Amino acid sequence: MPVLHVEIVTPESSLWEGDATALIARSSDGNFTILPEHTAVIGDLVPGVLRVETAEGELSFVEHGGYFQVNTDHDADATTATVLVGTAERTSDIDVARAEAAKATAEAALAATNREGDLDDAVLQSARDALARAELRLGAAK
Amino acid sequence: MAGGQERILRRRIKSVQATRKITKAMELIAASQIARAQARIAANRPYRDGMARVIYEAAKSDPRAAAKLLGTPDRVQNAVVLSIVGDRGLSGAYNSSVLRATERLVAQLKSDGTSVQLITVGKKALAYFRFRGLDVQQSFQGFSDRPTFSDAREVARVTAAPFVNGEAEQVIIVYNRFLSAASQQVESRQILPIIVHEEAAVDTKKDLEGYTEFEPEVEQLLGELGPKAIESEIFTALLEGAASFHTSQQRAMAAATDNADELGRSLTRIMNRARQDAITTEIMEIVSGAEALRERK
Repeated sequence: MPVLHVEIVTPESSLWEGDATALIARSSDGNFTILPEHTAVIGDLVPGVLRVETAEGELSFVEHGGYFQVNTDHDADATTATVLVGTAERTSDIDVARAEAAKATAEAALAATNREGDLDDAVLQSARDALARAELRLGAAK
Repeated sequence: MAGGQERILRRRIKSVQATRKITKAMELIAASQIARAQARIAANRPYRDGMARVIYEAAKSDPRAAAKLLGTPDRVQNAVVLSIVGDRGLSGAYNSSVLRATERLVAQLKSDGTSVQLITVGKKALAYFRFRGLDVQQSFQGFSDRPTFSDAREVARVTAAPFVNGEAEQVIIVYNRFLSAASQQVESRQILPIIVHEEAAVDTKKDLEGYTEFEPEVEQLLGELGPKAIESEIFTALLEGAASFHTSQQRAMAAATDNADELGRSLTRIMNRARQDAITTEIMEIVSGAEALRERK
């Protein structure tokens, strides 16, 4: 029985590792599903919800962009999918109150930049990113 | 009177012992931080290795698209130098060795006719370069003890910007590499253009090399990969810098504690002698006074 070994790693820790039956996520080319015996592929991930289907049920993670690599070892009948993401968390671990607060902060920052009309690109961008992250978390948690 | 000297010595011994208490505490704190910093380096390794594999595969499959992002440029007119040190001192040669290496590198680049933008991490760097009249483009501080990935991302954004905009052809990082608890060394290394680590290939099956598919196309992927890869590189450097800092501080404080012990011992010895001298003198005075009285009888 071919296996799909999934590793979800962030720079600060390995978030999850284990055998799965499918990995579902979204790259800049669109949604995709990785099944065991998938061919070797490297791609990017756009911020979104990543799902891992295991024998015990489905796990869901929120990730904020990264890459994935699939490697197949035909001799061992094993496929390894490595997910490299800057920040990610289990959907069940999301702190809704914190995300709400982050969203409010980001919205306030955006409003302030708009009022001042002084468009510092970097500040604007980081506020927009923060807002997108907060909204993504909230959307996933609901 | 000789008792005055004894009092002065007693006061000095007390102050040495108080200093020893501080250095000992700092030594123990640093020692506890080393283990944590090392654990964080270990936790970062899978991500770094994964990143290296992705870059390796991408570079292998489309060398032409990768050319801009990889390899050492022949002629560098503008370079960015990122120097990573600590926020605090009392850590032996940790800060100064990195700063000196940075200064040397900048001087060498300038003598080759390259204009240099200097970016620093750590409070100590800013003071050092300002004193020497070197222009620091931007400096970060406040997280060198326990850097997080979002700190690294912020540093990377600023550091990579000139390269991404085409204002600089090379980005070099100077930091303290953590080889093991017993050995750290200052390293200056080019982080942009990316240098492909050949070791990354070890994990990849040889017969599969070059058969990897890409989604999106390699060209598009590589454009994004550059800035991402240096986030990871800088994060690793920050983590190794923090671990080196704690190691260095632990060693420096252990030496300071030993020194305080030694100083306390020798001061105690001197004080005992001074007290003995005072007693001897006093006895002499009493005895000679008694003698004089007896003679007069």
